[in-house]
Amino acid sequence: MAEVLDINSLSKRYAAIQAVNQLSVKVEQGSIYGLLGPNGSGKTTTLGMVLDVIKTTAGTYSWFGQPSSRETKRRVGALLETPNFYPYLTAQKNLEVIADIKGADKANVNRVLQLVGLESRKSSSFKGFSLGMKQRLALAATLLNDPEVLVLDEPTNGLDPEGIAEVRELILRIASEGKTIILASHLLDEVEKVCTHVAVLQRGQLKAEGPVGAILSAKDQILISAPNLPIVTEVLQRLPFIEAFKPEKDTVVLTLKDGYSSTDVNKAMFEAGIVLSQLVVRRKSLEAQFLEIIKSQS
Amino acid sequence: MNLLRIEFRKILPYKTVWVILAIYVVLMVLVLNASSGITINGRQLGADAFQLPGVWQRLSFLASFFNLLLGILIIVLVSDEYSFRTLRQQVIDGLSRVEIVLAKFYVILAVAAFSTIFLLLLGLYFSLLYSTDHSVDAFFSQIDHLSYYFVQAVAYMALAMLFAFLIKKSGLAIIAFIAYAKIVEPLVHLRIPDTVDKYMPMKALGSLTPMPGQDLIDQFTTPTEQLTPPWAAVAGLFYIGLFLFLSYSLLKVRDL
Ligand SMILES: Nc1ncnc2c1ncn2[C@@H]1O[C@H](COP(=O)(O)OP(=O)(O)OP(=O)(O)O)[C@@H](O)[C@H]1O
Ligand SMILES: [Mg+2]
Repeated sequence: MAEVLDINSLSKRYAAIQAVNQLSVKVEQGSIYGLLGPNGSGKTTTLGMVLDVIKTTAGTYSWFGQPSSRETKRRVGALLETPNFYPYLTAQKNLEVIADIKGADKANVNRVLQLVGLESRKSSSFKGFSLGMKQRLALAATLLNDPEVLVLDEPTNGLDPEGIAEVRELILRIASEGKTIILASHLLDEVEKVCTHVAVLQRGQLKAEGPVGAILSAKDQILISAPNLPIVTEVLQRLPFIEAFKPEKDTVVLTLKDGYSSTDVNKAMFEAGIVLSQLVVRRKSLEAQFLEIIKSQS
Repeated sequence: MNLLRIEFRKILPYKTVWVILAIYVVLMVLVLNASSGITINGRQLGADAFQLPGVWQRLSFLASFFNLLLGILIIVLVSDEYSFRTLRQQVIDGLSRVEIVLAKFYVILAVAAFSTIFLLLLGLYFSLLYSTDHSVDAFFSQIDHLSYYFVQAVAYMALAMLFAFLIKKSGLAIIAFIAYAKIVEPLVHLRIPDTVDKYMPMKALGSLTPMPGQDLIDQFTTPTEQLTPPWAAVAGLFYIGLFLFLSYSLLKVRDL
């Protein structure tokens, strides 16, 4: 898979604060890449640097294997931190300005307004919009020239539950068209629900990185032990409802696909003639895992 | 020209712009009207002031006082881009820093063209009304004063733009701009010899629209040394380039 964004030991220092510290990540084409971290961990700063509006202190980045340029920017739609528009212009006029800058077809203006549910308010001026409407307009603006990559910094900020659900659905729909999405969020549950990959940041440092399933998993873990572990692993390999398993010293840790429980494991083992000596369900909240990641090495 | 079209899209629906331009137009007309109405020793001043071909120099000199207003307009437009964070968004969306400065420079050219054409119309109107000489030669022999005025207006607004890019906040930038133009530089002029300070921006730009009758005054007092308008125009063009370059440099070295 081609790399969309390659960040190479990127750093940003403000007078007293190391906002981003030697960050290196690669975003592959087609992934939904989450940048997860608590407030002030450097998500916006990182995105600001790769979007060419914050100067880097050190390090490099490239888009589609090239340095940032008008051409690479045309292939990326980005929303950084806040919706930025002219308050006295209407939604439609604001988008027309952006369409001109991006060289996008004017016909797209109406299409994206419709997509975010603002068509009926297209002639209202931006300053009269509610926060959620502003956020939707910003989302519409990123979609104007049908970009290959979307960069979204806290896109559900200020939205009501319905709006949040809609935006998430929109993101997933856009991603299903084969587009790449880079999403910064401090909401664990958002990243877990939407993203395929995640990088966890804390105080500007990369704490963990990889597929969401490997880094974060809201699924309960099941620990089993039996006198003869090698046979257990053999059986586990054949079972269709096992999502992942990892043999440890004298237990096997496994997670199940949706809709299955520890009873199914027990039954399957019994049918295979294995008597388990231990079966423990370990509930692990996302928050607990997150704190674990953040605490490690710090 | 795409850049200018984008700027017009933003500016035309903006009330503040029209208010500032309307103030400019109304003030100019008021001052002209007032001056034409004044009678000294039983003679209407208007009859003298609007004689061709001297009217062009008088009008340009008068208009030079209102350049500050045009500068304020530019400061508002640039600092707005900071407070709305649209400058940032435009760079994200694909404009380069050079284009950001160029777009505002095109606006400056458009505003200067507007005010120069406005002066031309005022001059035509009042001289047709008051001038005794209506020959083609009288109309056009000194019309080059308008082009000097154009350079001056552009340079003033370019300086205003630099202050706006430097300070970002409209209120502070306007104060700094006026303080520099009207207080700081004049104070510096007092301390250094005329041979040097005639090249300083405000003085050089001022020389583009010399005071009418200055040559008369100079005969009685020791003349203050000034650049002639053509040389002042060269200096003006140099400063315009410098202000544009400094604005660009600011954008280049700072976070947006
Ligand atoms: N212009 C600035 N000047 C000084 N420090 C800054 C500036 N911008 C950001 N910082 C600091 O850099 C650090 C990272 O900020 P950043 O905005 O990137 O965090 P974030 O992860 O986006 O947080 P949030 O979830 O609150 O949006 C913070 O400590 C912040 O105080
Ligand atoms: Mg942020």
